[in-house]
Amino acid sequence: MIVETGHFALILALALAIVQAIIPLWGSLSRDATLMRAAPTIALAQFVMVAIAYGALTWAYVTSDFSLVNVFENSHSLKPLIYKISGVWGNHEGSMLLWVLILVLFGALVALSARNMPDDLSASVLSVQAWISGAFLLFILLTSNPFARVGMPPIEGRDLNPILQDPGLAIHPPMLYLGYVGFSMTFSFAAAALINGRIDAVWARYVRPWALLAWLFLTLGIAMGSYWAYYTLGWGGFWFWDPVENASLMPWLAGTALLHCTAVMEKRDALKIWTIFLAILAFSLSLLGTFLVRSGVLTSVHAFASDPQRGVFILGILTLFIGGSLTLFAIRAPMLKQGALFAPVSREGALVLNNLLLTTACATVFVGTLYPLALEALTGAKISVGPPFFNYTFVPLFIPIFFAMPVGQLLAWKRGDLLGAAQRLTLVALAGLLAALIFYAMQGGPALSAAMGGVAIFVILGSFFDIASRIASGSSGGAMVARAMGMPRSAWGTAFAHAGVGVTLLGLAATGWGVEKIASMRSGDSVELGQWQVTLDKVAPRPGPNYRETVAHMTIRSGGAVVAQIEPSRRFFNSRRMTTSQAGLLNVSLGQIYVVISDQETEEPLDTRLYWKPFVSLIWLGPLMMAIGGALSLTDRRMRLGIAQRAKRRRGPEPKPLAAE
Amino acid sequence: MTRKSRRLVLISSALAVLAFAAGLVLFALRDTIVFFYTPSDIDAKHVAPGTRLRLGGLVKEGSVVKAEGKAITFAVRDANGEIRVSYTGLLPDLFREGQGVVAEGVFEGKGQFRADSVLAKHDETYMPRDLAESLKKQGLWQHNQPGAPEARGK
Amino acid sequence: MMWISIAALTALAVLSVLVPLGFRRAPVVALDADRAFYEAQISEIERDVARGVLSLSDAESAKAEAARRLIEKHDAQKPAANSDRSRRLAAALAILFIPGLALGLYMNLGNPDLPDIPLSARLTAPPVPNDVFAAIAKIEQHLATNPDDARGWEIVAPVYLKTGRPRDAVNAWNNVIRIAGPSPDRYTAIGEALLFAEQGKVSPEALGAFEKALELEPRFPQARFYVGLAAEQAGNVERARAIWSALVADAPEGASWIEPVRARIAALGPQIKVPAPDELAARAVTALPQGEQQTVIRSMVERLAARLKEDGKDPEGWLMLINAYNVQKEPEKARDALSEARKALSGDEAALEKLKTLARQLGLEG
Repeated sequence: MIVETGHFALILALALAIVQAIIPLWGSLSRDATLMRAAPTIALAQFVMVAIAYGALTWAYVTSDFSLVNVFENSHSLKPLIYKISGVWGNHEGSMLLWVLILVLFGALVALSARNMPDDLSASVLSVQAWISGAFLLFILLTSNPFARVGMPPIEGRDLNPILQDPGLAIHPPMLYLGYVGFSMTFSFAAAALINGRIDAVWARYVRPWALLAWLFLTLGIAMGSYWAYYTLGWGGFWFWDPVENASLMPWLAGTALLHCTAVMEKRDALKIWTIFLAILAFSLSLLGTFLVRSGVLTSVHAFASDPQRGVFILGILTLFIGGSLTLFAIRAPMLKQGALFAPVSREGALVLNNLLLTTACATVFVGTLYPLALEALTGAKISVGPPFFNYTFVPLFIPIFFAMPVGQLLAWKRGDLLGAAQRLTLVALAGLLAALIFYAMQGGPALSAAMGGVAIFVILGSFFDIASRIASGSSGGAMVARAMGMPRSAWGTAFAHAGVGVTLLGLAATGWGVEKIASMRSGDSVELGQWQVTLDKVAPRPGPNYRETVAHMTIRSGGAVVAQIEPSRRFFNSRRMTTSQAGLLNVSLGQIYVVISDQETEEPLDTRLYWKPFVSLIWLGPLMMAIGGALSLTDRRMRLGIAQRAKRRRGPEPKPLAAE
Repeated sequence: MTRKSRRLVLISSALAVLAFAAGLVLFALRDTIVFFYTPSDIDAKHVAPGTRLRLGGLVKEGSVVKAEGKAITFAVRDANGEIRVSYTGLLPDLFREGQGVVAEGVFEGKGQFRADSVLAKHDETYMPRDLAESLKKQGLWQHNQPGAPEARGK
Repeated sequence: MMWISIAALTALAVLSVLVPLGFRRAPVVALDADRAFYEAQISEIERDVARGVLSLSDAESAKAEAARRLIEKHDAQKPAANSDRSRRLAAALAILFIPGLALGLYMNLGNPDLPDIPLSARLTAPPVPNDVFAAIAKIEQHLATNPDDARGWEIVAPVYLKTGRPRDAVNAWNNVIRIAGPSPDRYTAIGEALLFAEQGKVSPEALGAFEKALELEPRFPQARFYVGLAAEQAGNVERARAIWSALVADAPEGASWIEPVRARIAALGPQIKVPAPDELAARAVTALPQGEQQTVIRSMVERLAARLKEDGKDPEGWLMLINAYNVQKEPEKARDALSEARKALSGDEAALEKLKTLARQLGLEG
C-alpha cells in the first residue's frame, strides 16, 4: 500500500507540475494577481507529493521489498541500513527521483519566501521551476520508473554495486545534485526575468543566495567525488579529467562566474545581459552533465548507469530548455536597459576579467570533453583526450586568476587604482616568493612545485590582506576585535573562499613532493616510504556483512617508533562477484600515507602500492574552506532580504568535513 | 575615457583571452590527443612505430608473463591480430586473462607495445565503450560471460 | 485502503490549487520590494561610511545612484488586473485535469491491487512447501547474525549447489572449514562446487581443493576420481588411466562407484601398444617347448639390447626391450634400459613421452 501510494503521489506531482507550469505564468502575463498567487501553494503541494513518493521508495528499500524491480536490482537484504538508504540514489531511477525531490524542495523554499518577493517574479520563477520538474517527472514515469513492480518477487536482491557501498559515495550524489539543481533556481530566475522584462539590482539580490547555495554544494560535491575516487579507485589520483568529472566542473566554472557577476549586478546594476546568460549557461551545463552521465555517450570510470534511450529523452529536455531559454534571451536581451558605467580598471573590471577567464576555461573543458564525440561522429576515428590536453589549455588560463584574485579585491568600484593595489600587495608578493624559496630549500624536488607553493601562499595571504589591513588600522586591541566583528560577513566569506583556492593550490603543489613505491611484501617485510617505515605484519581473512575481505595488517613506524596501524584490504562481494579495494589511509598532520594491495590468488608475497603524500588533505580542505566562505556570505545580513531570510533557517547543518577513512 | 573607448578596451581584452585560449586548444589538440586502436587496426592502418596510442582488446589466455621485478608482458588480441605489450608496474585489480583491457603507451613496431598505463574493465559488466564496439563488430563479444550475475527467481 | 489514500492525495492536490484561487487578492506590487531593497542599500552605505569603508563623497554618489534607480522603477510599474473569468477557468482546469491525468496515468503504470511485499513479511509467513528460495533466505538471515554456525553453513551449502549458486556453496563450505575444521569431504565438496561453477571443468582452484583433501586422506576415493578427471581434461590420458585403475583396484567390495569409473577408464580408449616382435619369430618361439622358449627369448632380447647399444635411435626397439625385461620379471634391467633409452633418445620429444607413459604403465617410476 505504501509503495503504491508513493507511485500515485509521484503521478499527482506530475499533474500538479503541469498546472503550476501554466496557471502562474498565465497570471504573470495577464497581470492577474490571484492566478499569480496560486503558485506557492501548488509548489508546496508538489513538494509534498514528491516527498511522499521518495519516502515510499526509501521504505521499500529499508524493508527489502523486492517486488519493486528497482529494489531487486540494487539492494540486498543483508546490506547495512545506511547503504539501503543511500542505495535509493545509488542507481539511475532513484537518483533521478532525488534530483526532482531537491528541485521541488527548492521550489517549496521559494514558495515560502514568496511573500517577500514581487508577485510576478515569484509566479514566473515557480512556473519555470514547474516546467523543469514536469519534464523530469515525465522522464521518470515514462522511461525510468522506480515503482515498476513484479507480482512474484524474487527472494533476494542483486545488491548495490559494491563500488558504491561507501560512505563517501553515500553523500556525494546528494551534494552534487543540490548544486546542479541549485543552478536550476538561478535559471528559473533568469527565465522569469526575461519573461517579465525586469532585470535589475533587486533581481540580482534575490538570485544571489541561490547562486551561492548551488555553488557551495557543487563545490562540496565535486570535492567529495574527487576524494572518493582518490581512496576507492586505488590509484591515488584525485582528478582524472574524466568526462563525468568535467561534467561537474563545467557548471562549477560557469556558476563561479555567475556568482561574481551577480555581485556586480547587485552593487552596480551592470553586466545584466551577461549575468542572465551565465545563469542559463550554468544550468545548461548541469543538464549536459546529467545527459553525459546518464546516456552513456561518454566512456568514463564513473559511469555506473547508462542507457541510450534515456539519453535521447534527456537530450530532448536539454534542447527544450536550452533552446527555449536562448530564444527568449535573444528576443528579450536587446530590450534590456544599458547598465551602469565603469572603468576597465575597477572592481567591476576585475570581475569581468574573472568572468572572461572562468568562462574561457570552461569552454576549453567543454571542447576537451566533447571533441572526441564530435570527431567520432564525423570521421569515425576514436581518440581520447587526456590530462595533457587540459594541462596545456585549462592550466594556463587559470594561472592569471591566481594573480588577479588578490589584486581585484583591492580595487574600488567604478574606478580603481591598479598601481596602488599592486603596491599594497608588495609585501604579500614577497612573502609568496620567500615561501617558494623555503619550499625549494626544504623539499627540493621539482621547481614547479615550489613555485606553485609560493603562488598558493600569495593567494592565501592576499585573500585576507584587505580584511587584515582594515583590522590592523584599529588603534587598540579592543578596537581591532570590534573592527573584525564589524566586518560584513560577506567580506569574511570572500576572503575564506579565495583563500580556499590557494589552499587547494598548495595541496596540488605538494603532489610533487610525494613518494611512491611498489613492493612485493611478505609478512615481516618493511618498506621505506619517505620518513616512514611500513611493515606488513600479517595477511588475514575477515568476514563482513555482505562480503569477505582479505586484510593486510600493517604497522607504520617513524624512526623505530610505532605511529599507527593501517589495514588495507580487498573485499569480495559474492552477490555481484566483484572485488573492491579498500585503501589503508593514515592522516599524518596534513599529509596521508596511502597503501593499497592488489588482487591476487596467493596470499604472499603481497603486491603493494605505497604512497606518502604530504599536504594532500589540503586539496580537499580548500573546497571545504570555499564552501565555508560561501556559507558565511549566505548568513550576511544583506542576504536576508527576501528569500534567504526563510531559506536560511531551512538549510541543513553546516557541511561536515570530508569523510576521512 | 569615453564610453566607446571603454567598451573597446573590454572587447579587445576579451578577444585577446579568447584568441589565447583558442591557440592553446588547437595546439593541445594537435599534440596531446591519443587514438584508440585494436590490434587489427594497427595492422590495417600501418601505424608508424613510435606512435602514442591506446590499445584495446582481450588479454590473450596464457600470455601473461611476470618477469623479474615488476616487469610484465602479455598479449592483447582481437579476432585478427595480437600485439605483445610490456608494462612495468602493478596491474589493475580486474586484469584477467581473456578479459578486456585498454593499454596506453607507445607502439614500438613489429607487434610490440610499451604501455605506461593499463586499464581493465571497471566491473564485471562494464567494458570500455570503444572496446565493446570493436569487439562486437568482430564477434568476440560474449554478453553472458560465466560469472556475470544471473537473474534468479523472476 | 489503497483507494482511500488515492482519494485523499487527489483531494489534497486539487485543493492546493482551488484554495488560493478562492481568495481574490490585492496584488503586492513589485514597488514595495524595490523600495525595501533600495532603502536597505542606502542604510548599508551609511553603515559602510560609519565603519570607514567608504568615503563620504563616494557614499553620496552611491546613494544618489540608488535613489535614481528607485525612481525609474516607480515610473515603470504597470497596474495589475484581476479577472473572475480566468479564476473560474483555472479552477475548472484544476478540478478536471489533476484527477483525470493522475488516475489515467496511474491505471496504466500502477498496480493498485499489489500490496507491499517486504522481505520480513515473507519470512515470517508460514513456509510454502517446496519454496526452497524462502528457506535459503531464512538460513541466510540466520547466518548473517550467527556467522559462526557451522551446522547452518553445512545445511545451506548443498542447497546452494542445487539452486545453481556454486560460488555461494564454495563460500559456505569455506565457512564450515573455518569454523569446524578441514576434512577430506569438505574440501572435496568445495572442489565439486567449483567444478559445477566451471561447467564441469576442473579448474586449478578446484584441483587445489581436491589435492588438499588427499593431503588429509590420501586414499579418499572421490577426490582421487576428480584428480584423475583433471588429468584427463589436461590431455594426460595415461595418467588418468593410472589413477582410476588404482582407484578401482583399491575399491572396497561392492562399492557402487566402481562401474562408472570402469566405464570412464574404458572411454579413455586403448592403451599405447608396445610393438610386438616380428610375427614369424614370435610364432617360431611359441612352437618351441617351454625351457627352450625361454632361452630363445632371452637370446632375442640380448641381441636386441646389443643392437640398441650400437644404434640407439630406435624408439620402437627400446619400448620392446623394456617391455620384455618387464615380462621376464627383471625390473632392474628394465630400469637400466629405460635410463639408457632416455639418453639415447634425448631430443626426440615424442619418443621420450612414449617412454614416460610406458614407464608409468609398468610402474617403473614413482
